[in-house]
Formats: sequence, C-alpha cells, structure tokens
Amino acid sequence: MFTRNEKPTEPTAKPQVRDKMETPVAPGGDIGRKPATSQTPTNSGASRMSAVSVISKALKITGQLESTEDIQIDGNVEGDVRAVSVTVGNGAKVKGTVYGETVEVAGTVEGKIEAKKVVLTNTAHMAGDVVHQEITIASGAFIDGHCRPDFGKTATKPAAVAQKYPSAMPEKVASGAQ
Amino acid sequence: MTGVLETTGELHVHGTVVGQIIADSFVLAIGGFVDGDILARDVRIGGKFNGRIFAPNVVLDSSAEITGRVFHTNVTVASGARIDGRMPWRPVNFFASLSHLPEE
Repeated sequence: MFTRNEKPTEPTAKPQVRDKMETPVAPGGDIGRKPATSQTPTNSGASRMSAVSVISKALKITGQLESTEDIQIDGNVEGDVRAVSVTVGNGAKVKGTVYGETVEVAGTVEGKIEAKKVVLTNTAHMAGDVVHQEITIASGAFIDGHCRPDFGKTATKPAAVAQKYPSAMPEKVASGAQ
Repeated sequence: MTGVLETTGELHVHGTVVGQIIADSFVLAIGGFVDGDILARDVRIGGKFNGRIFAPNVVLDSSAEITGRVFHTNVTVASGARIDGRMPWRPVNFFASLSHLPEE
C-alpha cells in the first residue's frame, strides 16, 4: 500500500552519494555471513543476533551437531560438532571433534578441535589435538595435546577427496588387491 | 653460541643458542632463536624456538614461533603465536623432581 511510485522529488545528487557510500562496503563484507542474510531477506539486526543454537545446561546430546550458523554448548555433547562459530561454555563438555571457523572453549573438550581461530579461556580443559591457524590460550587453561597450525592446509576430509575424485580411490584399491 | 647454558638466575637470549639451557627464569626475546632444550621454572618465548621446553610456567608471546614439545603445568599463548607441536601437561612435582633434562 505504500509502494506507490512517486516522482523523485529529491535532488539527483543525493542518490549518487548513497551509491558511493554503499560500494566500499560490499567488497569488505564477510563472505560467511552473506548467505544467511540472503536466505532471510526480512532479517533484522535483532534476529541475526539470535542465530545461535544453544545446547542448554540440562541437555545431553549423543550424536552429530551441524549448523550453518553458530552453536553455543552449555550442556553435554557426545559426538562431533560443526558450525561457523562454536562456543563451549564453562561447565559444558564435548566428547568428539569440534569444527568451526572460530572455536572458543571455556568448558571441557575431549577429542579434537579443528578451527581457524581457537580460543581457550582460563577455565578451559582441552585434552586432545588442536588444528588451528591462530590460537590463544589463557593462563590457567589446561591443555594436553598436539597443536598444529595446519588448518586449511591439509586435506583433513578424505571423504571429500573421495567424492571429488571418485576414480582415484577404486584404482588404489584395485592395485592393492592385485 | 653452542653448548650447555646453565644458570641459577634469570637468562635472556636475544641471539641464537643451539644446545641446552637450564635456568631459573628464561626469556627468549623477539628475534632470538633457540634450538634445543630448555629447563626452567618460568619460560617466556617471544622469538623462535625448536626443541623441548620443560617448565611449570610457560608464556608464549604473539611473536613466538614454536616447534617441538612444551611440557608445562600452566601455559599461556598469546593470539598470533605459532605453535606446532605437542603441549603435554605435567603436574608441578614433575618439574620439582626434574634437575636434569631427560633423555629422549
């Protein structure tokens, strides 16, 4: 009802200024966030804040967690966790591999962390390997494991390689059998 | 310098050391390089290090580049530090009983 076309009464200089202001923003935009906004065009600032899935303190989950957005774990998870940003809260426990762009641990992780940016806060308890690009460990954090700055370098997903080059895998198997 | 560096006080390294370092407190400054083992109570690394660190308290600054193993009780890693290796946790009395660098 308000979409009726009206003649632009504004001076032509104003839209030009707007264009100039908008263009520098576009290349700097976060690539990872873009699909989220395009999926939900009516997204307001407030609803984007709530794009975090929370495993609350009382909840225990056995199985795989996957999110295209963020996951906050305050409960108990047995299984792998995969999200853009994963936060393991104080008192929370994860047994399995945690994948993400950013992984912040204030609770316990037994298994493995694979993330671009890893943050272990002073209450963190990390038993296992950490594959990272950038790591921060606060004083007081427990860590017992292997730290490798190999995130994004090695093909850590053999399944993905097999899918990409399906011919490579059977050949190897066949040659091994002969 | 190459060889064994042993002191009961605080040791700062700005240059290059290849060998063993035993000190109460050890600081590897930015631009410094150590290839070998360090045994100390407090270790702070700002430079490049390759080898093993045995210390209850370890601080790795953002400029640190570590390869090897860091035996610790309490470790702090600043954002930006490059860590490639194991970080085995040990209780404090493990270091108290450690007067020499273990073999292997």
